[in-house]
Amino acid sequence: MSPLNDSILPRFESMGARNDADSLDKYGRDHSSFSMPDPLAVVFPRNTEDVVELVQYAREHGIALVPSGGRTGLSGGAVASHQELVVSFEKMNKIIDFDPLAPAITVEAGVITATVQDYARDQGLFFPVDYASSGSSQVGGNVATNAGGIKVLRYGLTRDWVLGMTVVTGQGEVLKLNNALVKNATGLDLRHLMIGSEGTLGLITEVTLGLTSPPPQQAVMVLGCPDMDQVMALFARARNQLTLSAYEFFSDKALQHVLDGGQSQPPFDERTPYYALIEFDCTDDSDQDRALAVFSNSLEAGEVVDGVISQSDSQAAELWTLREHISERISHLLPHKNDIAVRVARLPEFLKKLDALLHEHYPQFEVIWFGHIGDGNLHLNILKPADWSIEAFKQETASINAHVYGLVKEYAGSISAEHGLGLLKRDHLSDSRSEAEIQLMRQIRLLFDPDGILNPGKMLPDPI
Amino acid sequence: MKILVCLKQVIDYQVRVQVNPDATGVVTDGVKMSINPFDEIALEEALRLREAGKATEVVAVSIGNASVKTQLRTGLAMGADRALHILSETAIDPLTAARVLLKIVEHEAPGLVIMGKQAIDDDCNQTGQMLAALWDRPQATFASELLVDGQTARVTREVDAGLETIEVDLPAVVTTDLRLNTPRFVKLPDIMKAKRKPLDESPIDSYGIEAANAAQALNYAQPPERKKGVMVDSISELVEAMKQRGVL
Repeated sequence: MSPLNDSILPRFESMGARNDADSLDKYGRDHSSFSMPDPLAVVFPRNTEDVVELVQYAREHGIALVPSGGRTGLSGGAVASHQELVVSFEKMNKIIDFDPLAPAITVEAGVITATVQDYARDQGLFFPVDYASSGSSQVGGNVATNAGGIKVLRYGLTRDWVLGMTVVTGQGEVLKLNNALVKNATGLDLRHLMIGSEGTLGLITEVTLGLTSPPPQQAVMVLGCPDMDQVMALFARARNQLTLSAYEFFSDKALQHVLDGGQSQPPFDERTPYYALIEFDCTDDSDQDRALAVFSNSLEAGEVVDGVISQSDSQAAELWTLREHISERISHLLPHKNDIAVRVARLPEFLKKLDALLHEHYPQFEVIWFGHIGDGNLHLNILKPADWSIEAFKQETASINAHVYGLVKEYAGSISAEHGLGLLKRDHLSDSRSEAEIQLMRQIRLLFDPDGILNPGKMLPDPI
Repeated sequence: MKILVCLKQVIDYQVRVQVNPDATGVVTDGVKMSINPFDEIALEEALRLREAGKATEVVAVSIGNASVKTQLRTGLAMGADRALHILSETAIDPLTAARVLLKIVEHEAPGLVIMGKQAIDDDCNQTGQMLAALWDRPQATFASELLVDGQTARVTREVDAGLETIEVDLPAVVTTDLRLNTPRFVKLPDIMKAKRKPLDESPIDSYGIEAANAAQALNYAQPPERKKGVMVDSISELVEAMKQRGVL
């Protein structure tokens, strides 16, 4: 044990500091399983003052801090593999205030997303940011990564729901940003710099989130499409005719992995190469009739082959599992995950080129397609063949990245639509952002964290 | 053979049920209503029997106000051949439901009546048994497997001690448990087809039965909130905590 570590444990005993092997392993990693965790210790601050104390200590002793929430990230943003001190927000899990008039809720950063959703629902309200991991992801992490998810099409990103926040900068200053104001035209809105900064500008300790009225009753359709062009043609039609809250797609190979889990049944007997999952407002028979019209018109146009519609909320939830269980069902196959986006209008062309590229260069890999296609976001997962070593596969994925990101760049897209950059994507930042932008980001980071103690090595590539 | 399937409209399983402000019932306005999940399993089983050539016709029946037609349409879209709507503006108790169903059974003469073992709203678990008694026919409740062979049905029942397999002569009443099957999704073309299937409506009093409810609900309340669990950091703490509570 290092002398430094020796002193951290008693120093932060009140914050539950620990460094046993299990805790280091658990709190040193996120969901990306990319690097071996190797943190110095883990601490559990209980309030903003504790976080200030930690930052001051880190500055004095030159220790790096890694903020840690629900650890559901997929880009290594919360990984501590270089003797950092992990700052877990787990104990900061209180709901501080509810404002029914705004309506808004103020919570500590460690409150779990689903807790906010449930609280809102109990008040007859709705918090719309939602994704498969909302049962464990935390608000602080959502804000730090500007989390997206399945309802972006209708409700936007986390950014659109953050009314204010308390944040501790790398100099230990406490900033109260925007004070939950709706209107506030007083200069640069630093709140928006913090959103998506992946813990590199400050440690978010409290957040005020906007809430809204719940949507009307929803129904879910899963329709089978013969190819990606038709998935997009169907999107245009559905968007026109229905009030959509989600438009997702997945390939038949993706579906097969979910079905192999043995807990789901296919939507219908005939299998099609692609499926679209459409969630839309459906309060009465006339809404259902419009959905039927969309279906029969798209059937006639050759966009769909077959389709089902939920008749209960339970069935809607069951249909959602076909899409939401994909990630989990393929995770043991160590997929190389791509989270890319282009403008929706350019998607059909982009997808064709991407498909051709993968076919030509990487026919040996099983490619799993799914994503929030209605907002231009594609989750492209390339599975490691069983007989390949992890090392060999990792080497090959570097070449895949170069190919795929090159194409993303050509289409002015994003190499990380909603997963952030973390450790995994940071070196490819220049495929999505200009050198001038990256240079400004470096300077901004220095302003907030001159000593470089906040999540170093994440988000930005090392300077050349 | 004809199969009669009973579909009850209930608040959707996924809805968080709220007690209304004057504590006389639960909020149903704007709340998603669905087929009782056990009844949905009953319909699925009937459809599978028809598809296997063991039955020739599946008739769905529901008792309730005008809105239960939505669930009957769903039943038709799943594959029922026709539907009967017994119109009753007021909620009825299981015995009244069984009396109405008896009239329908006498008229339709099904070889099998399948329904859920209970409805997820009142959890009564009575209607199937009462119908069998009034009809004076065998009953096989809590079915997790149903095999029809000629004039008999072999039914595996989920009982407290495990599984029990019995054989009943048809006609009979079978009530379904969760593990019997997984109901199919409704295909969009079938919803269109369902609109053309017969759905006959008749008021409950046309059967000479009064819409009655022998039980009177006095008060409704939310279940008490569960106490939050305590996280302990180690086994020894757990043992200590259990000792303190006198569990160990």
